[in-house]
Amino acid sequence: MKSSSTQAAELGAAAGVARQRRRRRPSVNSRSGLTPYLYLLPAFVAYAAFLLYPLIRAGQISLYEWDGLSLATFVGFDNYVEVLTDPELRASFVHALVLIFFYAVLPVIIGLALGAVLQRARVRGLAAFRTIVFLPQVIALVVVAIAWRQIYAPDGTLNSVLTSLGLQELARPWLGDYLLALPAVGLIGTWVQTGLVTVLLLAGMSRIPGDLYEAARLDGAGPVREFFAVTLPAVRGEIVVALTLTIIAALKTFDLIYVTTGGGPGNSTSVPSYEVFRRAFELGQVGSAAAIAIVLTVMIFLINLAVNRIGEREDA
Amino acid sequence: MATVTFDQATRVYPGTDRPAVDKLDLDVGDGEFLVLVGPSGCGKSTSLRMLAGLEDVNTGRILIGDRDVTDVPPKDRDIAMVFQNYALYPHMSVSDNMGFALKIAGVGKEQRAERVREAAKLLDLEDYLDRKPKALSGGQRQRVAMGRAIVRNPRVFLMDEPLSNLDAKLRVQTRTQIASLTRRLGVTTVYVTHDQVEAMTMGDRVAVLKDGLLQQVDTPRRLYDHPDNVFVAGFIGSPAMNLLELPVVDGGVQFGGTTYDTGREAIDAASGSTVTVGVRPEDLVLTAEGDGLAVEADLVEEQGADAFIFGRTIVNDKSHDIIVRVDGRRPPEKNSTVWVRPQPGHVHVFDATTGERVGD
Repeated sequence: MKSSSTQAAELGAAAGVARQRRRRRPSVNSRSGLTPYLYLLPAFVAYAAFLLYPLIRAGQISLYEWDGLSLATFVGFDNYVEVLTDPELRASFVHALVLIFFYAVLPVIIGLALGAVLQRARVRGLAAFRTIVFLPQVIALVVVAIAWRQIYAPDGTLNSVLTSLGLQELARPWLGDYLLALPAVGLIGTWVQTGLVTVLLLAGMSRIPGDLYEAARLDGAGPVREFFAVTLPAVRGEIVVALTLTIIAALKTFDLIYVTTGGGPGNSTSVPSYEVFRRAFELGQVGSAAAIAIVLTVMIFLINLAVNRIGEREDA
Repeated sequence: MATVTFDQATRVYPGTDRPAVDKLDLDVGDGEFLVLVGPSGCGKSTSLRMLAGLEDVNTGRILIGDRDVTDVPPKDRDIAMVFQNYALYPHMSVSDNMGFALKIAGVGKEQRAERVREAAKLLDLEDYLDRKPKALSGGQRQRVAMGRAIVRNPRVFLMDEPLSNLDAKLRVQTRTQIASLTRRLGVTTVYVTHDQVEAMTMGDRVAVLKDGLLQQVDTPRRLYDHPDNVFVAGFIGSPAMNLLELPVVDGGVQFGGTTYDTGREAIDAASGSTVTVGVRPEDLVLTAEGDGLAVEADLVEEQGADAFIFGRTIVNDKSHDIIVRVDGRRPPEKNSTVWVRPQPGHVHVFDATTGERVGD
């Protein structure tokens, strides 16, 4: 057994070491505390300069009435109230929601159907097919818009095809029709997004093990039940990604509208992004434009948050 | 319960000349546990998948009971299959996985739950019924896959290497569980494996396949003691049987320094001046110097009770690998030379050209 004095000495020594450590630590700490942030600084400066600052600036401008040149007048939340009350502006947001159906929902449905059929058939030339359906993604949207404007034109391809089929009573100026202009533009979005969605879903489906389908066949599942029991649950992750990307594209739509309809006829195809552009650069209502932009950003964020939450919850 | 009959069943994959399964004739008795075994690409899995209906039968027939099921879709064959990777539906709970086939068949919810519970009890899965497959261990997943088959109450179980994803210890445990379970349920079972130990321990009878051709169907004991050809002789048993090409002499074969009497019939039936002689490592005994074959011990593997000599011997100026089992307590030195000869009555003689068994 150790004597009490040696024990005390040992304790004292231990305390001394601890004290030394404690004394040394703050200096180490202060250095290691700052160093990591220094590494982050360059990226943060770029991020702040090109994203945070404009965002804050937009938020600030949205509280003013400003034509972009003369002195701005502070109006509080008036611009936001206008977004919620002005029927024309509200309509533009409703149009954006309608476009979600054409940009996101329809491509996912088509992509799932195409993917499921191709997966089952295991046809040759799948790679070539993938390239072809993906092609619209590669073409600049302005080019797509011009091509489709000509297809939809009164003397365009669509009408001449209808006429040659003897369906001339269906022929009309598609983009000039109050009811049909928005769906017509939406279908261009469907055409563009289907490729991306299909390729995403096909990639997901190719990872499904074949014996799962065999097990389903042995369990007595037909093609439809097989789709809902095996294919659909397996590509849930891909569906969430596809919806996120396409919903953002739908809500941000600008170039298609700008080139094809310019928001017309009337305001039947106006969308928030187009309103932002029009107000900021054509009508001199920069404050209002900023408010619309902020509302649109929040809306994109919330809808995608919801989509991802639902996707995750059902995955658990 | 039912018998299973392969009647000249043949499968040729599109784009290949050689059949994956060539005119398979096989009868599985009611309630029997039959194991299909063979090396990779021998057609054992293809045979099972033909029986399942997952693979076309190009010529020939397959019968379950008296019913010709050659063109019957899988779901109507009254079979259940356990897959190598279990193929559990990942988003469904254990009970939904097990009850899926019943649900499709339109069995009521109450009855379905009852049957799932029964199977779960049998497999010790009652505590896991609400879990998803990914929250289960490998052994539990394997049991769920079994449960999914049992719940359907099929006439035939098909199992495609169901133990190959388990670790060695669990594999040995599960092996006995599966064998006793299927016997208790009395359901005819066709079981595919590449592992000959599994085949020998589980099967009532074992069918050995090679290159799409059935080599032999017999009880494990008979396969071991009476292989029909050189392939079966070499495939069944571990370590493998020694196969030596020995010259035929008057009164038997020349086994090194001695003549081994194989019996008159064997020598008469053989076509050439040499025969292939098979002796299992445990049927070789050490003998006096100059008697029998000289074996140079390259390696002596001591396993406790037994020791195995992995060595070489020269027959007709050709070097052959040879394995001899000896007493584990008195193993010979490495690099020493020992003399061995076969125990009487434990020698297999095969025709040197055809590889078929000759004699008895």
